[in-house]
Amino acid sequence: MLKATLRSFFAHKGRMALSALAVLLSVAFVAGTLIFSDTLSRTFDHLFSSTSADVTVGPRREFDANDERYSGTVATLPASLAARAAKVDGVAAAHVDVAVGNTTVVDRRNRPVGPTTGAPTLALNWYRSDRSPVEITSGRAPGGPGETVIDADTAHRRHVRIGDTLRVVAAPGTFPAKVVGIATFTTTNPGAALLFFDTPTAQARLLGRTGAATAISVDAAPGVGNTRLKQRLAADLGPGYEIRTQGEQAKTAAEQLGSFLDVLKYALLGFAGIAVLVGVFLILNTFSMLVAQRTRELGLLRAVGASRRQVNRSVLVEALLLGLVGSTLGLAAGFGLALLLMRLIGKAGVSLKASELVFNWPTPVAAYTVGVLVTMVSAYLPARRAGRTTPMAALAEAGVPPSKSLRLRTAVGAVVTAAGAAALAAAATGGRAGDAALMLGAGVVLTLIGMVVLGPLLARPVVRTVGGAFPAVFGAVGRISQRNALRNPRRTGATAAALMIGLALVGGLTVVGTSMAGSIDQEIDQTLGADYTVQNGVGRPFPPQVTERVRSTPGVGTVIRERVVPARIEAGGHSEKVLVIAADPELDQGLRPKYRAGSTARGLAPGRIVVNGEYADKRGLGIGDSVSVRFSRTRSQKLTIGAITPSQKNQAVGNGTNPVIGMDTLERNVPGVLDAVVMADAAPGTDKAHVRTALEKALASFPQVQVRDQADYKDLVRGQINVLLGLVYGLLGLAIVIAVLGVVNTLALSVIERTREIGLLRAIGLSRRQLRRMIRLESVVIAVFGALLGLALGLGWGVAAQRILALKGMKVLEIPWPTILTVMVGSVVIGLVAALLPALRASRMNVLAAIAHE
Amino acid sequence: MSTPAQEQVFGRAPSGPTAARAEGLTKAYGSGETQVLALDSVDAEIARGRFTAIMGPSGSGKSTLMHCLAGLDNVTRGQVWIGEHEITSLNERELTRLRRDKVGFVFQSFNLLPTLTAGENITLPMDIAGRKPDQEWVDTVIDTLGLRDRLRHRPAQLSGGQQQRVACARALASRPELIFADEPTGNLDSRSGEEVLAFLRRAVDELHQTVVMVTHDPGAAARADLVLFLADGRIVDEMPNPTAEAVLDRMKRFDRIRET
Repeated sequence: MLKATLRSFFAHKGRMALSALAVLLSVAFVAGTLIFSDTLSRTFDHLFSSTSADVTVGPRREFDANDERYSGTVATLPASLAARAAKVDGVAAAHVDVAVGNTTVVDRRNRPVGPTTGAPTLALNWYRSDRSPVEITSGRAPGGPGETVIDADTAHRRHVRIGDTLRVVAAPGTFPAKVVGIATFTTTNPGAALLFFDTPTAQARLLGRTGAATAISVDAAPGVGNTRLKQRLAADLGPGYEIRTQGEQAKTAAEQLGSFLDVLKYALLGFAGIAVLVGVFLILNTFSMLVAQRTRELGLLRAVGASRRQVNRSVLVEALLLGLVGSTLGLAAGFGLALLLMRLIGKAGVSLKASELVFNWPTPVAAYTVGVLVTMVSAYLPARRAGRTTPMAALAEAGVPPSKSLRLRTAVGAVVTAAGAAALAAAATGGRAGDAALMLGAGVVLTLIGMVVLGPLLARPVVRTVGGAFPAVFGAVGRISQRNALRNPRRTGATAAALMIGLALVGGLTVVGTSMAGSIDQEIDQTLGADYTVQNGVGRPFPPQVTERVRSTPGVGTVIRERVVPARIEAGGHSEKVLVIAADPELDQGLRPKYRAGSTARGLAPGRIVVNGEYADKRGLGIGDSVSVRFSRTRSQKLTIGAITPSQKNQAVGNGTNPVIGMDTLERNVPGVLDAVVMADAAPGTDKAHVRTALEKALASFPQVQVRDQADYKDLVRGQINVLLGLVYGLLGLAIVIAVLGVVNTLALSVIERTREIGLLRAIGLSRRQLRRMIRLESVVIAVFGALLGLALGLGWGVAAQRILALKGMKVLEIPWPTILTVMVGSVVIGLVAALLPALRASRMNVLAAIAHE
Repeated sequence: MSTPAQEQVFGRAPSGPTAARAEGLTKAYGSGETQVLALDSVDAEIARGRFTAIMGPSGSGKSTLMHCLAGLDNVTRGQVWIGEHEITSLNERELTRLRRDKVGFVFQSFNLLPTLTAGENITLPMDIAGRKPDQEWVDTVIDTLGLRDRLRHRPAQLSGGQQQRVACARALASRPELIFADEPTGNLDSRSGEEVLAFLRRAVDELHQTVVMVTHDPGAAARADLVLFLADGRIVDEMPNPTAEAVLDRMKRFDRIRET
């Protein structure tokens, strides 16, 4: 029996190829993601541990260093601590570290030199150390004020040469720096741009405090353990510092990155999952068709004494073989994909080397599990059907599909779809966002299953309608195509279902995306009062010179600043971490905030705070109650609630649910926070376009900030949403590719099944061109059917999801008609592309051989 | 028998009452030492308005002859005319058009598209060509075949005999130059087979069509006006106004030749 199975597998290898390709693609995505994320985390682990000092002494912070990016402040400690640390027993050397990430560096033409993708530009003090991630490969070390060394990757990317003068926009002020050396990474370049200065310059120009440091790096003397050294340092230096060993330092850094990598990994695996799901339909269809075609053969096996179980098992063994072959190839392709991903992030500045690819044991385990399991599960139903073949089938006409009643399918499909629709409706009308999201999830899954089950039933009416014009437009060829698509509704249904999944997700996400953009447009109209906003592209704060320039620009009227600081807010014994926004008192002109109680004037008065309604309700607070806000380890203050914003208003524009305080209150507690947003109005009687040009000119030397009017702001939001959608479409593209393979597969097998028919048609005068058109039309009908189902489903999902967003303030529902039209046209193209090979194959058939085909 | 090839001027369309003609028709499979001649310089003429049967033992080349005459198969050497058209020089597209417009086919089985109704199957060649059928003629054909009440049926709902009748109707519907029938009764019970043969006869007698039928059944061959006997790729004999007994006797002589 095994021999018969193997023979059969290899005899049908052509027909298996597309299924194997589907397995391959799914597995490749899974394996590629795992290899890529393993490589990335290994690389960064290595980077962090090799560049961390044996023991690092840093200032004690209430919040982690990451929070500093909001405020632009830098925590420091006295540089003299290095001298004290050097005297501690077991310390070989102690270095003063200055490292800040809040600078912007521009070239002579005011173009940014650092990365614009969100990766930091780090400005550091230079000293010779084994821990340094770079070594100077040309020029020399920075030796005085106004000299700098830049990393080679950045220099190469931005065409910076030794002798060029750069301008460094740091928090204390802007200063010029001449490039005297180029430093090359000896480790992986994590994507940042590095600039080195000598220590006095770094202290004076980057921190604005001579004698300050951001950390002290301590090298242990030979034979002294890091942990012991840490204890000694702690004892000697006293409390007030955060002392970390190399291991701890690397671990913290890796954890921060790890959570980001996990998000990336699970997102990619999610898309892999969708691809796997689509692959299931392809494999299911292939095996169904193989079993149907081999009914006679299987009947013969049964007639000569093979048991049901043996027949059943023979099909499953074929599936196992397919799974193994597909997984193995997929694993190999996964390496390729990982390399591709590495190249992609290389574009973002992170240079990983192919030789550093990490292959951990869970990768092959996951690959084979996914590949084999998916194939076996997909083949299970066809295998069972094969087992049910009666010996009589050996005598019956070949290739006739069992015309089983669709009644049970109708019932099951209708019930599941109805339940799903009910869940979606409940999600759309439900009151609370949390429950509604759960209902939405259930609704999406149930309607998807329901539509998959109902697909074959819907094939008849939909294909009749879609292909309704075919006989009139394409004559006999059109009629035959339309009927062929209806011949096996199960097969058409399953083929279209594969396409449906990807397109439903595209449809649903597009509805949500455009609705969000629409809502934000509306919100900008309602909320944003200022004529111009000045902001950094990735939300980093900017130095005060920017605000000064804005103020001094002729024609500018009111200027409103906003700053952001991390803080802990405490009330009723509960403490939570928040980002507190500080604003100038003219906030009403800039953002038109709404309040449930109180006003901007009362909320931003000294010693007062504005809190969100949801928070106030949760903690049972009202106007006049006080909360304690802890800005840093040493600074905590009681603030009185002066105003309350409406609850659950999750704004995309404005201050959202964040607590807001007056600028004075912030200055008194945390001085030196950089501005994050500056809003400005044109003075009465001035030309707005004119003022805008003036602003842009004034800020030309600060490329890290952009001036936007309200229309620009809308474009920005739309652009961000489109980028996100584009990314999602790209990843869904894999699922759609597999679905297209499914259409190709179905057509190819149909062509084989209908060999005699094709022979007959050719004999009685159907031209090759007409035959190709016949197959193309059938393909188009199937693809359009899938697109219609998918879009209908996606619209349902999207509308339900939008209702949930409406609870959070995104009230506009926008149906993306252009996208829908594109998808419909795209599905026609998909149909045409999928038909290429099957049509070519059919038209190349020898007429006589086809007629004589068994 | 046919006109000797050397008397013909090649390339000139022959006139007269021939529906199809072959000259020096040779069909070889393989090459060199292993070459097998399925047809060996066959000269044949199919008279217009007549019912011609091609007989011969299996492997004699009778089906190949039909395929070559009908433009389904390419020839190794020689020439074939259908009506006034020399077809061996035609390309694939022209051959397809020729089959569509000038030739009707009835195969042994699987003659109909399962997705189309009987009526749609009958007009299929014209639909493919995008031509309007001659409705009067089609009605005559349908009525002659007694298919009027079966037009809306799908092939699966028809008996084997009915299916072959529909196939005959399709072959006739476009009023082709000639109709090729390849063992049209091979898969039928004797009564249904008789019906189909009777119809082919009427198509010649009453509708003035030309039919060429390949068969190995002497009874079927006896319904023809002329039987051509093929053996080893050559036409070895012909028999006008055949009877079943005479054909059977002639066929038995092939067997005897083989035995000796």
